[in-house]
Parts: sequence; structure tokens; C-alpha cells
Amino acid sequence: MDRIECQWCKAQNEPGRTNCTTCGAPLDTKDLVTDSGWAEAPRLRDMTEFRFSNSTCQIEGEIVPVAELALAQGDSVFFEHHVMLWKEPGVPMSALNTGGGMKRTLGGMPHVLSIAHGPGRIAFSRDAAGEVVVLPLHPSMELDVREHAFLAGTHSLTYSFVRIKGLANVLHGGGGMYMDRFVTQREPGLLLLHGNGNVFQKTLQQGEKILVEPGGFLYKDSTVTMNAVQQNVKTGLMKHGMYLAEMTGPGRVGIQSMYVHHGSE
Amino acid sequence: MSMPPAAGAYTCPYCRMASDGQEATCPHCGAPVDVRVRVSDSGWVQQPPIRDMARIRFSHSTCQISGTYVPVADMGLHDADWVYFSHHSLLHADPNVNLGNLPMKGGWKRMRAGLPLIMMRAQGPGHIAFSADQPGETIAVPLRPGQGVDVVEHRFLVATGNVNYDWHPANVWFTTGKGDDTEWHYPLGQTIDRFVATGSNGLLLLHAPGNTFVRDLAPSQRILVQPGGLIWKDPSVSMFLHFEYPRGAYWFSSARYQAKSTWLTLEGPGRVAVQSVFERPEMVGSVTRSSGATTHQW
Repeated sequence: MDRIECQWCKAQNEPGRTNCTTCGAPLDTKDLVTDSGWAEAPRLRDMTEFRFSNSTCQIEGEIVPVAELALAQGDSVFFEHHVMLWKEPGVPMSALNTGGGMKRTLGGMPHVLSIAHGPGRIAFSRDAAGEVVVLPLHPSMELDVREHAFLAGTHSLTYSFVRIKGLANVLHGGGGMYMDRFVTQREPGLLLLHGNGNVFQKTLQQGEKILVEPGGFLYKDSTVTMNAVQQNVKTGLMKHGMYLAEMTGPGRVGIQSMYVHHGSE
Repeated sequence: MSMPPAAGAYTCPYCRMASDGQEATCPHCGAPVDVRVRVSDSGWVQQPPIRDMARIRFSHSTCQISGTYVPVADMGLHDADWVYFSHHSLLHADPNVNLGNLPMKGGWKRMRAGLPLIMMRAQGPGHIAFSADQPGETIAVPLRPGQGVDVVEHRFLVATGNVNYDWHPANVWFTTGKGDDTEWHYPLGQTIDRFVATGSNGLLLLHAPGNTFVRDLAPSQRILVQPGGLIWKDPSVSMFLHFEYPRGAYWFSSARYQAKSTWLTLEGPGRVAVQSVFERPEMVGSVTRSSGATTHQW
């Protein structure tokens, strides 16, 4: 029987479906890739529904989309508490201690992540116009995400956070001190991110490099290395150091088109 | 049998440049070719957003617009072409693109006016991309040799190397308060940018929050717009302030204080473009001095 491969997450779908059951990406539109090789994250149609484990996720709205989850018994998701838009009163909550309390305080990250358990409904959104990026993670994957960009992760994901290496990267990288790291073990997992503006992804080959505005960085495979490189810019007698993030493959890099420039002015 | 249209048979209603009209989008400004011009009853033409993945050609290079909320202008630069831009609009670049700075005059004045002090240039070959920091539309303004436009500050995204950049005082201001309490207000910003193509056709890319509307003003025709709504205008369009004081029941509402409306008068001939998102004007005290302005008390 013919199957339809999702161009975003590579999952196989039954014939006749219009959106991917794993990530919600439209199946009947062509892959949009720019001449320079950046693929647009699929724009999820309003009310798109897809499954994870025994639960479902529905994306509502298009300007500041909401991810509404119908959690089944035995499923759970973790999230930063301030992204919760609403929930049914009966949805049980618990806390995930992230460890490294003082480090996270210094890094401006929440100490505790909240966990919502099924059964019941809960919804999440961030506070900027943009896109929900659905990233199904296959077993044994590691993904690094810019801080404050993740919306929710399923229970099969292991959450940790990694310090951005190098003082120059911390001070000038524009991504803060830490990145969230999501790892899958034997089970697949689902990660929902919020990207400001539009989101693009590019897969870098071994040793391939790309310069990215640090504020535009959204996520990367952990195999991709990120270093702040300085661009010297002179105006008259004044010299300014402008930093860009140099990403080196192999692996995926995701960027967002709306960002705060951590400037050199 | 129908004959294909001759080259130059299609004139884009938005950028006024000629092409063969055979592509889905205008090769000069990216506007869709196959849509009907939408004109409001009052005469504003809605500039259609550039379609996702549309390509614009300039010199030997291309510019591809991708995304819809905060579009990205992804340029494939030929090795003979270069562009300049404000450094904070750079999103990504190939490592082999030659990045440098563009000498700017009047650094102190630019700093005081809140304008970017650094303008960068990128020389091909390679890909480089730009985006703004708010939802809206990317507007492509192709310029014929010698043609220029005045652009409100902070709307500029990137321009080709043959577009000459200059800036001058907007001369649209008013003051409130007196003596040491005098406050200066610049509804358009202190300066306005002027871009003029030299030698050959040039391309100017702007970013406008919200949606964009353009219209032609006839000689002496006037229109009042929110000062924060103006994006660009032809240099032939003159502008000055207009204050309106609605009639009210109380002195506080009527007496030239809070209930004042501050408008920008645009007077033709020429084209003007406005955006649907604009900064809310401050409700400041009574006007003590101003640049050239008209007043109406209802």
C-alpha cells in the first residue's frame, strides 16, 4: 500500500490524509525551500490535529497559535508554567525539579518545570506572533533549544540544560547562558516549540558552516557546534564588535525570523 | 491562436516597472501578477503581500522572499553585486560573503537621532538574508536611474549598492511646555532617509508593520495621515503638521490640551505609502511652537 512521507518529520502516513499524524504538517503542499537551502517550517492549518502516544494535540489560531492537548491516562507533558493558557480543573499537576537551582536563577530560567498528567485537556501559547514548531524526536536524538522557546515536551523526553560554552558565546551569543537539551532514549518523543515570526530549518553537512544572527537561533541538533565569531565594523574613529553565531555541521539548525538583536551599538 | 504578449507589455500597478507579465510575480517588486488591483472607495490601493518564495531580480542577483509573518529577504548575490543594510537586520550569511562596513557621515547626529550608527555592506558571491523584528510585510521598491524616495526612519531593510543613501532633517516637530520644561516632539523622527538610484535600476527593500497601502496624490491634493503610519513618499510630496481641536463641553477637553489630534498633511503630486500599524501618538500638553503647521478648531 502506498504511504505518504511527511516532508517535515519523515513519518509515513496513510493515503488520503491531508496532514501528518505525527507532526500535523500539511501533506498536500510542496516542500518550500529557499535557493540557499532553508526549508520553511510547515505552517500548520488552523485546527490541525495530530497524535502522540495515546493523546492528541490540536493547533488553534495562526498569528499566536495555541497548542491544545487532550492528554490520555498515563501520558504527561512538561512545560514552563507561564506558557499554560488554560486547563481543565481536574488535570493533575506535579513539578519536575530541573536541578542546578542557582545556575538556573543566574541564567534567568525557571527553577521548576510543571508537569500535567492525563486524563484531561490543557493548552499552551507564548506571547509573540509566530509559529508552533512540532518536532517529533526519534529514539536516541539530542536537540538543543534556545532558552524560553520551548512550549511543551512529552513524558518520554529527558530534559536537561547545558551551559553555552565559551565566555564570548555567553556574552555575545545572544542566547543567554544555557540552552535546553531534550534527549530521547528508546521511545520517540514530541517537542513543541514557539518560534517568533517564521521558522526555517537547514541541514548542515559535516564541516559545513553558516553564520546566523545570534538572536535568530532557535534550535539545533547537539552535533552542531555553535561559536560566536566577531565581525569588526568601523565607523570613522569608532570600532564596534558585532558577533554572529557560526554553526558548524553536521545536523539541523532552526532559526526564527523575528528576534531581538543583541547589538553592538 | 493567441499570441504571447511582447516584452514590456505588462506594467506592474504597484512598482510601475515593465516586464513580460509571464511570471506569477513581478520580477522587479515581487507583487503577484495574477491578482486584481484592490482599491478602497477612498482611493487607497492595497499593496499585495509578496508571495512566499517569490523571486525578485536585480542586476545579476536574486532576492527571494520567504515567510509570511516576519518575511525573510534571502539574497543570492552575484560576485559583482553588493548590498548595504543596517547591521541588526542581518539574519544569516554564508561564510564566504564579504561583510564590511559602509562609511557613514554625521555619526554624532545619527546617534542623537536614534539612527543606526553602523551601516554594513555585503559583497557577493553567496547568500545573505535579512529580516525585521516585527510582524508585517517586506516591500520592494525598485528605482529607475535618478528616481528617489523618502523613507521614514527605521523602515529600511536593505538596498543595492547603486542606490545612493542620504538623510536630512524631517522638519516635522512641535514643542510643548515652556522654559526649562520645554519638550520636543518629532512625530516622524528627527530625520528622514532619501534613497536615489544612480547609473542603473536599483532595489530598495523596506519592512512595514501590518499591511501596506499606496496612493497617488494629484498636484495640490491633500490627505491627512497618522504621522506614525507613513512609510515612504515621493520627494515631490510635501508634508507638514496639522493640529485639530475637537469641540468639547469642558475646558479640559476643548482647550488645546489633551483632546488634540496631531496629523501629518501630505500634499501632492506624488505617491505615498502608509502602514496599518503605527505608534499611538502621545497625548501631550498644549503646543507652544512647531514646524510649519495648520490648525483647525471645531
